[in-house]
Amino acid sequence: MRKRKKAGPVEALGDGVFRINLTEDERTTLLGFVDQLEQVLSAEHSDPRLRRLFPTAYHENPDLDEEYQGYMRDELRQSRAASIATVRDVLQSPETLTEAQLYAFMMVLNSLRLVLGTLLGVSEDEDTDDIDDDDPTFGQAQLYGYLGWLLEWTVDTLSNG
Amino acid sequence: MSFLTESVHALGLPQASDTQVAEPEVRETPETDLPWIVLVWNDPINLMSYVSFVFQKLFGYSKEKADLLMIDVHEKGRAVVSTGTKERAEIDVFRLHEHGLWATMQKDS
Repeated sequence: MRKRKKAGPVEALGDGVFRINLTEDERTTLLGFVDQLEQVLSAEHSDPRLRRLFPTAYHENPDLDEEYQGYMRDELRQSRAASIATVRDVLQSPETLTEAQLYAFMMVLNSLRLVLGTLLGVSEDEDTDDIDDDDPTFGQAQLYGYLGWLLEWTVDTLSNG
Repeated sequence: MSFLTESVHALGLPQASDTQVAEPEVRETPETDLPWIVLVWNDPINLMSYVSFVFQKLFGYSKEKADLLMIDVHEKGRAVVSTGTKERAEIDVFRLHEHGLWATMQKDS
């Protein structure tokens, strides 16, 4: 288990007010990933990077699933777009966050992890910690680890804050 | 740097349809009275703390109940997280998908 430090990257200030303690570099980097996530979301339905973001609902019935996707897919896309817009504002502002803003931050971090984890082929038997530093996906694996760390803090703060 | 836009090839990702081996056999029973169940499937990406937190938020489950469900998902490969009408189940599936969880729905058997 990770030891709790005094001021982690995400902090509850009380009364439903939160703060993310990230450097300018981290904010800029995250903003870049948020832009990329937005691009991925606009990709073709069949794009494998989207598989985890738009899963099958009726796994036993392709007809019902097609119907479901027909009316839910756009709604899901819009919901993700709204979270992305919130997170973009949050990352560009030094202000504190509301619980709803931190919640959107959590959702976007998780979406990023899903896309990246999919790209990396993360599975139960294959841990990203095992990737060597000369592996071409090393940078992605590092980022995946970073996002997991940040998400863990966010979940922890929302649970206890 | 373009971490998310690298070309993707031969990902070999699991799809819901690949998991049918582990699924319960659904019998041909009259459809009328059976409730719909919402299943969450194990996946190697979502953090355990996140999954438990989402169960608490979406269904109002206690931390204890949410943790047990999450462990069920992790160890048994899936767990029923809610039951109800088709409409209710569709809303639950939508909200779970919104949170990036791998949820499906089916008639109870």
